[in-house]
Amino acid sequence: MAASIARVNLLPTSRTLASGVPLAPRINNAIPTGLAGGDHGHHGSAARSDVPAAWTFKSTARGHVGRTNALPTSSSYQQRFLSTTPTRSASHPMAATTGTHRTSATGVPDFTPYKAKNAGLNRTVSYFMVGGLGVLGASGIKSTVSDILSNMAASADVLALAKIEVEMGAIPEGKNLIVKWRGKPVFIRHRTSDEIDEANAVDVKSLRDPENDADRTQRPEWLVMLGVCTHLGCVPIGEAGDYGGWFCPCHGSHYDISGRIRRGPAPLNLEIPEYTFNDDEEKIVVG
Amino acid sequence: MSRVHDLIYNTFFKRNSAFVATCFVGAFAFQISFDLGTTAWWDYHNRGKQWKDLRAKYIQAGDSAEE
Repeated sequence: MAASIARVNLLPTSRTLASGVPLAPRINNAIPTGLAGGDHGHHGSAARSDVPAAWTFKSTARGHVGRTNALPTSSSYQQRFLSTTPTRSASHPMAATTGTHRTSATGVPDFTPYKAKNAGLNRTVSYFMVGGLGVLGASGIKSTVSDILSNMAASADVLALAKIEVEMGAIPEGKNLIVKWRGKPVFIRHRTSDEIDEANAVDVKSLRDPENDADRTQRPEWLVMLGVCTHLGCVPIGEAGDYGGWFCPCHGSHYDISGRIRRGPAPLNLEIPEYTFNDDEEKIVVG
Repeated sequence: MSRVHDLIYNTFFKRNSAFVATCFVGAFAFQISFDLGTTAWWDYHNRGKQWKDLRAKYIQAGDSAEE
């Protein structure tokens, strides 16, 4: 019974080579490259001691393909080959030659060389690039906006014309001076005390545009007004009209000695510009 | 090394408010430094040719003649 169970699954040696080594065809005793042992933790990568030397057999297998030949014992058999070696040599770029593990037989490459060495550095660099673009964009927008605003701002020659100075000593009492300011005439009258009294004597409630004379002047003896009729923009004539002030010749508006509208089509008193007194230099600064 | 990166991340990048604020502050600093740098380079490139370099010569000569 025991004899019938026995299996002979290797071909017997058929002959002896000239070197005295028995020939076993179709049996590859070579250890496949990469599976030779030493790379995964063992000390030394020398060949295994229990492997027969290369000259002891003749391999019919080529290169790195190892085959295990399993033969049935029946008389009519077919050879079956199982590939037990990955078809990739150790010199392949995808193979980890220095790593702890070789690529597996499933063919999944080893991506260890491509993994980030320092994830924190990668993250910092990524955010820095985004932030750097933000910095450049923000400075560009700021430059554009400030350029547009400075383009709209008044230029130096316009600003130089924005203010005028009038010497107070050049205007005797009871006289008008007309100066041009920002393209418009400005009336400056040095009023006498009689004219001031006359302006104050008017009943404000009876006026079309009720304003006190004190509200229209900073100093009663100096009256500074825009010389533009509030009706249609003509320039009134000084020391004329029924009320001793200004008279607009276009449509007959009469202004009194405080520049208030008294008769005619104009709806409002003559406008008061911004002005200040410079007492050190005896000047009125309009604007 | 990763400590430094964690510190940078937690300081500047983690909150969007800090990130945007850093961007704006950085934009101001960048503009100022860029202006200063380019102006310095321009002055260096044109040294000896600009009025501020030549002024001392002519003011000295003209001082006694004009005033």
